[in-house]
Amino acid sequence: MSKIKNFFKNLFRRLFQLDDRLLLIIAGSIAGICSGLAAVALRLSLESVLELLHPFRQYGWAFILPAVGALLSSFYLEKIAREGAGHGVPEVIYSVSRHGGLLRFRSSYSRLISSFLTIGSGGSAGPEAPVVMSGSAIGSNIAKFLGLNDRQRITLVGCGTAGAIASIFNAPIAGMVFAIEVILGEWKFVNIIPIAIAAVAGAQVSHAIIPDQVIFNHLPFQVGGADILPSLGLAVVTAMVSVLFTKVLRQTGKIAKKSSLPFWARAIIGGSTVGIIGMFMPVVLAEGYHSIQSMISGTFSMGLFFVFFAVFAKIFATAMTLGWGGSGGIFAPCLVIGSLTGVVFHKMLMVLVPSFGCASEGAYALLGMTGLVSGVMQAPLTGIFLIVEITGGYETILPLIVVSSISSTMSHYIEPASFYFKELIERGQFLRPGTDARILSDLNIRELIETEFVKVSENMVFRKFIELLKTSDQNFFPVIEDGTQEYKGVIQISAIRKFALDPGMYDMVFLNQIMDTNVMTASLENDLQEVLDMMDINHMDSMPVVENNRFVGMISKTRILDLYRRELIMQTSDH
Amino acid sequence: MNYKLLHIFRNTPFGRETFLQSLYFCKTINAFPVAYIPKSDKFLMYFSNDAVQVDLDHSYLTSPDTAKGHAEDLFKEMQIKPMFYEPKNYTASTLPDISTNFDYLCCPRSVSDLSSKIGLGHIGPKVRRIIKHSTFPILITSPVFKPWKSISVFFGGSKNALNALKLGLKIAMSSGFALKIYTLLEKQDESYYKDLIKKEGLAEPVKQLSSPWHFYEKKDFNKMLYDVPHDSLIVLGAYGHGIIKDILLGSKMEQIQSTVTNNLLITGPYCSVEL
Repeated sequence: MSKIKNFFKNLFRRLFQLDDRLLLIIAGSIAGICSGLAAVALRLSLESVLELLHPFRQYGWAFILPAVGALLSSFYLEKIAREGAGHGVPEVIYSVSRHGGLLRFRSSYSRLISSFLTIGSGGSAGPEAPVVMSGSAIGSNIAKFLGLNDRQRITLVGCGTAGAIASIFNAPIAGMVFAIEVILGEWKFVNIIPIAIAAVAGAQVSHAIIPDQVIFNHLPFQVGGADILPSLGLAVVTAMVSVLFTKVLRQTGKIAKKSSLPFWARAIIGGSTVGIIGMFMPVVLAEGYHSIQSMISGTFSMGLFFVFFAVFAKIFATAMTLGWGGSGGIFAPCLVIGSLTGVVFHKMLMVLVPSFGCASEGAYALLGMTGLVSGVMQAPLTGIFLIVEITGGYETILPLIVVSSISSTMSHYIEPASFYFKELIERGQFLRPGTDARILSDLNIRELIETEFVKVSENMVFRKFIELLKTSDQNFFPVIEDGTQEYKGVIQISAIRKFALDPGMYDMVFLNQIMDTNVMTASLENDLQEVLDMMDINHMDSMPVVENNRFVGMISKTRILDLYRRELIMQTSDH
Repeated sequence: MNYKLLHIFRNTPFGRETFLQSLYFCKTINAFPVAYIPKSDKFLMYFSNDAVQVDLDHSYLTSPDTAKGHAEDLFKEMQIKPMFYEPKNYTASTLPDISTNFDYLCCPRSVSDLSSKIGLGHIGPKVRRIIKHSTFPILITSPVFKPWKSISVFFGGSKNALNALKLGLKIAMSSGFALKIYTLLEKQDESYYKDLIKKEGLAEPVKQLSSPWHFYEKKDFNKMLYDVPHDSLIVLGAYGHGIIKDILLGSKMEQIQSTVTNNLLITGPYCSVEL
């Protein structure tokens, strides 16, 4: 038995440990397939439940459906899955930034169920963030099962994300770009191949199970040079709407958190509000793919006035769904709001300049979607590739690039952090690889401390200290109390010169009379950034580290720089 | 020594008992207890290869207004300076990350299941996962505060058992209490175990700190457990095998803790102990 075990161990080592690319490709494909399956499962179940509930939407009481869905969803998340709230993508980014992509196993299914309940009942949210969460957790847990290291685990998290997005939209390139641009934040050779393969695997799984799946039918768009100028205008408008959407989402969530209402009451209020809005404007309900399809194909029947209000209604409904207890993502709402914005823009253009020979309303809906995705996520490439892939609209690539780049740049100018990153930045947890903050956070204060220090007693007579100096090259001497061994202060060689030059003082002075007790100290609980800030403020090159009144060691800028360089090299190298 | 023990404070009479246990443990080995008073019913611990979410039962959130005061009173009673842990990072708004940079963690037998108050023969799945992944020893307390006056190490010869022996020696050194070693002769004879500790360089400290080594035949497992003094801290290594083996063969750790009510100090497979 042990021989067989050893054989497989050796085989595994020879195959994978010398070069982990093959391992990452195989494990990444598995992650892509599994996350693809999760995405397909959510999509099919959502389609079924939306179809099942559709006949009931005409009744007056139907407004309670989203409330019931949100209630069940929040109850499931709070009491059964016991997940922390949130739509998931920031949690994945946080995990990648701070914990080497470690994610809980329960995250691989919990958001799928909760978002099914929310969106299936009519809540205004998208299924993409839950499948991203699920795919990432699948990748992370595959890495855990295989005992992979942090770097490899992060790659598999990216693979899971790419597989999930590729599967739900049948868009492998968008999946890959989203994983790298938004989740990992670094374009590294070692990441790209496994993630690309995982994305293709996810899309293929989706294609195999639902062969005729096309989210949005491709229609030929006649986009010409005349559309470039209006595209610029649309980009500005989508940037404004993106910023508004982000702010409303965040503010609504904050209000809900501040309220003293229990989670179930919040869910009922949020869901009922969405239900009531949905009775007058059904376009706000659920993920909204059907509305998008009709806008792209130019068959959207609402007039300018109603479409204009629908933009704000959808923003508000999404904020009430996600902020007040529902579960889901903002991807699909972005697409709906974007296409509505595009339609409004086109209709207004037609009102103002009726003879203007621009492209169809559907083309502007596409451009609006790109503008919103790029503006809200501040991920221009994801915006471009997603829209191109899901609509097959390669004819619109030039205006897509124009709208995407201007919208993401403008919204970045107004609101420097995207919706996904804002909360993490506020908490100081948005740490991209290779950045100063990330490197400092990855260095553990314990490994930076120099502990080989001779400590001196506070009752030591100065002559004895001078004798000690002759055999030591320390510049700092921690002073401790005899009985308790507690840290009392520090003797800095530079500060005792006047005593050292006066032999008459040698037998008259004790160390507790000349030690410096006001030196700022660090503790093991401090982050390295905090320690560096304290050093800068106090113009110190070294600082004592004291824990529970005991001297632990010294931390110096020289040592920090050494380890900083080592960490930087490690994070920016390909392996 | 500057060791720190993390205690998840439960503001109930049962929690008081376990907290007293932690305080006594720290006082005895000159470590510093740090109490965490949970504000939500769950938290996350990120280990090197796993993220363990601990779902606390509702008793951990009992009367939050008085929790800190009660904890401080107990600190004072034991003449220990109160120290409290505040999470710095949050994975989600209601999910704090608890640092794993501690030297010990005190756990009741189960943190997520109220039946642990009365049930003995069960170690909760979360406590098991923490033991499996932690780099520090886990103190599993007896249900009622019981000061321990000696240390008993269960030494079976494995890597974890060697860690447990080192830990036992370390605690004996810092506490001044006597150390007893108990070994069940399963596959090897006495000389094997004696040679093993010689090879590991532990023979000398064992000779200095330990009373005669107690060996038992395989069939005398229960007798060995009954011979352990009731007021002794039992130090043992978790065997670290998987759930299937546990179900088929049973877990020795559970067998031990269901028979004896002593405090247990458990070293997991990733735990490293230096003398």
